Formats: sequence, structure tokens, C-alpha cells
Amino acid sequence: MKLLSRIAYLALGATFIWAGVAKLIDPSAFLSSILTYEVFGYTFAVAASLFMPYLELCVGFSLATGFLRGGARWLAGGMTVVFLLLLIQAAVRGLDVDCGCFGSEAKASETGFLWPISRDVLMLAALFVAVICERCGRRKSEL
Amino acid sequence: MKSVQEAFTLILIALVCGGAAYFAHPLAPSFGLDELSITLEEAQFETEVFWIDARTDEDFDRGHLDGAILLNEEHWEDLLLDFLDRWPPSATVVVYCSSQACMRSHEVAERLREELGVEEIFALEGGWETLLEMGLAKEGEK
Repeated sequence: MKLLSRIAYLALGATFIWAGVAKLIDPSAFLSSILTYEVFGYTFAVAASLFMPYLELCVGFSLATGFLRGGARWLAGGMTVVFLLLLIQAAVRGLDVDCGCFGSEAKASETGFLWPISRDVLMLAALFVAVICERCGRRKSEL
Repeated sequence: MKSVQEAFTLILIALVCGGAAYFAHPLAPSFGLDELSITLEEAQFETEVFWIDARTDEDFDRGHLDGAILLNEEHWEDLLLDFLDRWPPSATVVVYCSSQACMRSHEVAERLREELGVEEIFALEGGWETLLEMGLAKEGEK
């Protein structure tokens, strides 16, 4: 159980680090991606384009290493739910968004929404598995 | 409670790094760019408008607003000469790119303001998509 939890945390951590690095290379491109969702104003989008890549990096590092992992779990879950909701609203509104999830990507008109939404659901599932397995492992070692 | 503290610590670290990136990252977006924006309605109130298309050469060739000239950062030096030849200094310059989300028009407008020292240069909100929606341009029109 512990091993499964570690693998899930490592995979999630690597995914968040990858996403963070891809975004922080070109924050202006990420800003353009955020604006395609037509949810946020320009000022908020600029702030998010600068802040989010580093938050993803911090969360990824924490999940992978275990340092401040308790907080990183909540942030990872919260961010993934927000990303998921943003994608769903864009799909419902028929917006041609650039996901921006891992840097600037192709538009939804080319890729569709299925893969980005499935990816977020998979990440939530991995986080759930990691937390459950971690707790089970802890209980076993207490007994 | 410990998790909440840890989460705030991570947020704080990201805030500090994001703040540093704003000043140090060469590709960091600017909060001030929004002040360059002009709506189509506002542009139509101007007595004389000189339109600039900041999209790629291919997009421009596919269709552009009647009277607009191409000026993008990919071929800045070459295209700027054409702009300077045709630019009536009395006109308000409005730059457009493909959509609300693109930043090319803001970047071109900001660069023109800096290089020409002129304030009456703006980026069109909504860009080419708005021009199409309002029937002012047609896809494929040259």
C-alpha cells in the first residue's frame, strides 16, 4: 500500500512539475491561454500567469518529496478541480480554448475536450489513491 | 490545521517567486498592457483610424481589414518601414490580432508607442474575431 501511495505521489508530483515548468518558460503564452477561457479579467489573468506556474512547481515538489505534503495535497486537489471546472464550462460554452495545461497547446477545435478533461479526472483519481493508500499504510504500521 | 499552514507556506513561496518573475522574467506579461485596449465602438468614434494587422503573414494573406497594413514582431524591421511610409500622424492607430486572448496587438501597440513616442496607439479588444462578428471584415477578404 505504501509503495502504491509513493508511486502515485511521485507521478502526480512529476506531472505538476512538468506543468509548472512548461508554463513558466513563457508566462505571456500562458496568459493568452488563460484569456481564451473568457472567465477572468486581464489583471487577474496576468497575476495568475505569473503565480500559477510556481504554485504548480511547489506543489509538485512537495508531493514528490513529502516536504509540506499535507498542504500540497489540498492545493493539488483544489487546483485540479478548478482546472476541471474551467474546461467543462469552456466545453459547455463551445469556446475554442487553448488548454494551457502544459504550456501553449493546440486549440480545443483541433484536440477536443475529452483528453484534457480525462487527464484532470485521472489526476484526481491518482490523488485519491495516494491519500487512501497512505492512510491504510499508516494504520497498518500502527497496528 | 497543519495542512492549512503548509498550504499557506506553499502559496507564499509561489507568490514570492511569481513576484520576482514579474520583474526578472524576460517574457513576463505587463499589468499595464490593458490600458492600451480600445473597444470597436470607441475606435469607430475616432475621426481617423489607421489599422494595423499584428497577426502572422499567413493570416494577413488569408484576409485582413480593408486598408489595414501588416506589422508583426516576426518581421518588425522590414514592416516598420512600410508602416512609417503610410502612417498619417494625425490618425489614431488601432492594432488588432486574432482574438480577445491574443497579446500580439498589445505588444505591437506598446512597442510602437515606445519607438514613435506617440500615445494615440491602441490594441483592439476582441481583435479579428470581433471585426468578423460585427461584419466589418470577411474571412478571405483582402
